[in-house]
Amino acid sequence: MIAIPTFILIISGATTGLIGALLGLGGGVFLVPLLTLALGVPIRTAIAASLISVIATASASSTINLERGLVNMRLGMTLEVATSLGGLAGGLIAAALTQRQLFLTFGATLALMGVVMALRSGRRNVIADVSVEPGRLGGRLQEGDKAYVYRIRRLPVALTASLVAGAISGLLGLGGGIIKVPVLNAFCGIPIRVAGATSAFMIGVTGAASAFLYFGRGDVAMHLTAAVAVGALPGSLLGARLSQRVEARSLKIIMAVVLLVVGLRMALETL
Amino acid sequence: MSSRVRALERIVEVALTAGVAASGLLLVAGLLLGSTTLLWWGVLLLIVTPVVRVVVVTVGLVLDHDWLFAGVSFFVLGVLLSSVYVSGRL
Repeated sequence: MIAIPTFILIISGATTGLIGALLGLGGGVFLVPLLTLALGVPIRTAIAASLISVIATASASSTINLERGLVNMRLGMTLEVATSLGGLAGGLIAAALTQRQLFLTFGATLALMGVVMALRSGRRNVIADVSVEPGRLGGRLQEGDKAYVYRIRRLPVALTASLVAGAISGLLGLGGGIIKVPVLNAFCGIPIRVAGATSAFMIGVTGAASAFLYFGRGDVAMHLTAAVAVGALPGSLLGARLSQRVEARSLKIIMAVVLLVVGLRMALETL
Repeated sequence: MSSRVRALERIVEVALTAGVAASGLLLVAGLLLGSTTLLWWGVLLLIVTPVVRVVVVTVGLVLDHDWLFAGVSFFVLGVLLSSVYVSGRL
């Protein structure tokens, strides 16, 4: 691996942290392709660096999302049961897969989620009648001067998606938001901003469950990882602040396009 | 949203901010001084921050007598601690 200047790594972390926090993701979905395809970092080193960076992005953006009341903590904790188990399993399985298998799994997962997001981008999940009871895992949301209620639907789907997201996270160095946000929004009745904020809240835990394994195996390249994380911290704080200014439908469309492009690019690498 | 939930969210926010700020400082210092030891502690603190967040939430829920979600939180903490245990044996 060639030596990469520190400032390039910091800018990479800042950019992916900003876009990640803007979309309610950890940013690993952009960072892993950037490190491997553009900077020539071996995929296992990139995955370990991404996991740490994802934790930085998720923790930093959660401070802002909590302040805004966008995080549904009870829903997050319930789904964390599945994501943390998946994260632990994924982190253990990752050691057994080849570089080609990791690339292919990564690309196919992203492209599939891009299609799902594009197909369901027009749906609205909120209920305008605020007298409706949100239930234990639902909540209330304030958008400008309007108040809304949302209720969780198909909890088993949300739990299954969280388990898969956790495993993908441990395998591929993502936070898993790329699976959770589209599924929570498209199938489980959660508004996109709450889905993003709650997913980011969970991502720290999902990332930590597998990051300890990479740390223990000695897969974390300290200088590279630190530089990327140092960039991700301010980038994600800015992204979380900007996310409030972007329309919900635009967020969904941006996410669908990014998923398709990055997913196909990664899958083509294996040919 | 009840004021108790809001108070717990505020404490979680403070815990996350403290963890992120402290690890950020260690990482910047490590990069500037070329110290692998500082980088190692900065990365470790970053990974531990979400674990501390789970501990804070668990304690808050226990104090609030919200046993169902406290149980959920204990389970997540158990998975994280088993990950630490497994990583020590790799």
